[in-house]
Amino acid sequence: MAKSKSRNLVNLNVNPCKMCMPMGAALAFEGVEDSMVLIHGSQGCSTYIRRHIATHFNEPIDIASSSLSEQGTVYGGAANLVQGLKNVAAIYSPKVIGVLTTCLAETIGEDITHIIKESGVASELKGIDIIPVPTPGYAASEYNGYFVALKKIVAFYAREPKVKTNHINVIVTDLTPADIRELKRILSLFEVEYTIFPDISETLDAPYKKGFDIKTEGGTTKSQLRRMSAAIATIEFGWMTPLGLSPGRYLEETFDVPLYSCPLPIGLNGTDLFLEAISKIYDKQIPVELKKARGRMLDAMIDSHKLNREGRAVIYGNPELIYAVSNLCIENGIEPVVIATGTDTNPLVEQLDQQLSRYRYNPIILKDCDFESIQEIAVEQKTNLLIGNSDGKFIKEKEDIPLVRIGFPIHDNIGASRQLYIGYEGSLRFLDLITNTLIDKKHEAYRDKMYNKYFVN
Amino acid sequence: MPQNINKAVEKVLDAYPAKVMKNRKSHMVIRETEKIQEIDANTRTIPGIITNRGCAYAGCKGVVIGPIIDMVHIVHGPIGCAYYTWGTRRNKGKTREGGQNFLEYSFCTDLGESDIVFGGEKKLIKAIDEAVALFHPKAISISATCPVGLIGDDIHQVAKQATKEYGIPVLSFSCEGYKGVSQSAGHHIANNKLMSEVIGKNEAYEAKAYSINMLGEYNIGGDEWEISRVMNKIGYHVITSMTGNSVYDEIAAAHKADLNIVQCHRSINYIAEMIEKKYGLPWIKVNFIGIASMSKSLRDMAKYFGDEELINRTEQVIAEEIAEIEEDITHYKKMCEGKTAMLFVGGSRAHHYQGLLKELGMETILAGYQFGHRDDYEGRDVIPNIKLDADSRNIEEIKVEKDQDNYQLRISEEKYKQLQEEIPLGNYKGMISEMGDGTVVIDDLNHFETEQFVKALKPDMFGSGIKDKYMVQKMGVYSKQIHSYDYAGPYAGFRGAVNFARDIAAGMNTSAWKYIISPWKKEPIITGKMGVDQVC
Repeated sequence: MAKSKSRNLVNLNVNPCKMCMPMGAALAFEGVEDSMVLIHGSQGCSTYIRRHIATHFNEPIDIASSSLSEQGTVYGGAANLVQGLKNVAAIYSPKVIGVLTTCLAETIGEDITHIIKESGVASELKGIDIIPVPTPGYAASEYNGYFVALKKIVAFYAREPKVKTNHINVIVTDLTPADIRELKRILSLFEVEYTIFPDISETLDAPYKKGFDIKTEGGTTKSQLRRMSAAIATIEFGWMTPLGLSPGRYLEETFDVPLYSCPLPIGLNGTDLFLEAISKIYDKQIPVELKKARGRMLDAMIDSHKLNREGRAVIYGNPELIYAVSNLCIENGIEPVVIATGTDTNPLVEQLDQQLSRYRYNPIILKDCDFESIQEIAVEQKTNLLIGNSDGKFIKEKEDIPLVRIGFPIHDNIGASRQLYIGYEGSLRFLDLITNTLIDKKHEAYRDKMYNKYFVN
Repeated sequence: MPQNINKAVEKVLDAYPAKVMKNRKSHMVIRETEKIQEIDANTRTIPGIITNRGCAYAGCKGVVIGPIIDMVHIVHGPIGCAYYTWGTRRNKGKTREGGQNFLEYSFCTDLGESDIVFGGEKKLIKAIDEAVALFHPKAISISATCPVGLIGDDIHQVAKQATKEYGIPVLSFSCEGYKGVSQSAGHHIANNKLMSEVIGKNEAYEAKAYSINMLGEYNIGGDEWEISRVMNKIGYHVITSMTGNSVYDEIAAAHKADLNIVQCHRSINYIAEMIEKKYGLPWIKVNFIGIASMSKSLRDMAKYFGDEELINRTEQVIAEEIAEIEEDITHYKKMCEGKTAMLFVGGSRAHHYQGLLKELGMETILAGYQFGHRDDYEGRDVIPNIKLDADSRNIEEIKVEKDQDNYQLRISEEKYKQLQEEIPLGNYKGMISEMGDGTVVIDDLNHFETEQFVKALKPDMFGSGIKDKYMVQKMGVYSKQIHSYDYAGPYAGFRGAVNFARDIAAGMNTSAWKYIISPWKKEPIITGKMGVDQVC
């Protein structure tokens, strides 16, 4: 049984393990073709969010702001919002504009849906879909903001389908552009039609080309979004997603599109579940190439298990990601000693309990936590491996515990968008990285340690 | 070139809706050196334009207060703003002996929905209690984010109470993000409080001879350390910098110095003025970026003190330092010579870096500030003519008076006047006056304009920040972060100049630029015959 805890200090969050809702929502829109985001609030929100997404992906991030000043705060920000939308349309002419709110806009009670409708700006800017997504920064973390935006986008385009199609929707979270390219490869091997939403494979990892255009290519297209309600099924990597936020569930309840909720396809079991779902939906065999990849992963797992058993890991990040990474660790004998998220989530504890009850592991599960708590427990529990985003670097530096990076943001290493974590191939690369980190750490000192333990004493 | 620039400016303005066009036009100047030219600055950002500006909170907590290393800086508000300012400006700080260092921390009251509805004051009070119990800091700051003022939390009252209860200074800053028009408002809010509640409070401090304060230096990438190294070598004693690598007690002793040197004019010039008024301590504008600027600033300082030995020592150190770097600079200059740059940074650096680039043989063809005011562009003479708009008027102005106990005229009025002729004593001439004919000055350059001007002017280097960096590089132009230095530095001072030269020489000449056009798009490059001459 896992022990569930919250952070050490009740009123003070020390070194946050979460961001705010508009961040998640902005990331969601990055995967929609020819879209831009306008954040209704103080311009600092756009600036901070741009800065953090840019350092992770090393790509231009174009997010506008309604630049609310004191006047707008006192008299209402409708004029700023409308002018902002018109300027974005005039200067950048995107096809889709996602409008997000902020702590400021929500505290002064701005109803963006109402403003957009009543001001007539939506009809004035013909050809541009304006999608309002209320994302009060204080309401929840970026994890929730992401799903809130996904659901709003899906709902914006979904119509009662005239005919059902034979494609599946794959709704994703926490994936890198390289992961999404791998996802496409896997789906192509099955020879099925699909809509991946959101698709950041090109938008946030754009190839260099001569003749720069401010519009990035790629992303889930409007027509793909429109046909989501006609799909044969939805696979959603939303094992931890609160039911009310799940776009897959919305499609199921409203348009009878069956929902297959899966954990992220990280690890052998995680990937198996995903492939089984496709196989079941289409009544198709698992492609030979994928079977071979599974065999190779298994072969490698057998080779490295003796090294992995020394791992005592701290796994932190978004609920979905840490659930999948915990499973990868468990499969390979790496003990998840601390599993932590800054998000307040109940499904995580419940689901992990089920998984863990089959093993001897009793990890400490931290939800709604901060890095100060993670650090304390990481030391107390004598852990030797951190798995998560760059924010663990302070623990790494202070406590000399190696850090294997996954998640968002990764800004102290380069190449976050090229990392592959999913499928048998990606999982194996990631596993090797973990194993090699443990080996390196061990080799730094093991001769001395051994000598002291067995000879000197 | 000027014709080209005229066209580029016209093209940008033509693309705007009429109202936007009128506004943006007043923020652009094509330099004509025989004219006195005006520029609009520090005005409201146009909504939707994709500005690179930040907010008042960023200027207050992120820039000015955050770098003070032995204070616990509590962000009062929801989590995002605390997360986004966690260690992001790369201000370095060395822990003083027996002191504390919280630079790697981020503290937040993490307000949730119910706090927004019912108020967050109680949570703040408890958070301070927890911070004191766990970290025992020397002092605490509270920075307000957007919702705090709106929900009626009285952070100043909480701070007052906490100061009483715990016996440590607790400073509160009403730096809600929507205040002012950019981070500049936040600098002002932060510095006002340092002026009214911190500076002058350390009575016990015993200042040594040639004591100075380094104002508007934030120790990004270790700049302050490199400058201080040279200062120490000459014989100066830096009491405090404001606020890079600073600690509370040292800032509190700032009034004991003999001279304030101002690096970033924008963020702190009014404090320099207030310190002068209150304590009789004059300031000079310095620029530590580039060899000539650094040398000149050191000479100006020596001239202010007027001590023969100090003047000689200054010359000796300058000569030593230049000898040490000369060879490297010559080497990198060969790689930079003849290239052009565009600079869009802050409220000072777009000016400061022009000299260093010139020394490397490069011309700055466009420069602009993100949050500068007219005096940063046009010089301090323009200050009486600046019309305050509603946003600036809402930022509290504090008034200082002569401190009867601590006021001490450092130099006579006569000497002051005489020195003003020779050195920038209490004066700054701004960026524009140093820019040549046909160069462009643009205030609050936005995303669209960046794209257009980079395409039109084709610079070899674009010096700016992370938000525009990748767009510029996608256009085939090397982009150097002049805010965070791309995790490098120091760039200030003599040794810093070499670091900068090395980094930009590498950046502009990286082989990758040569591969942009793939070989199959050019003439065939392999001309060997198939099947024969297979050696190796």
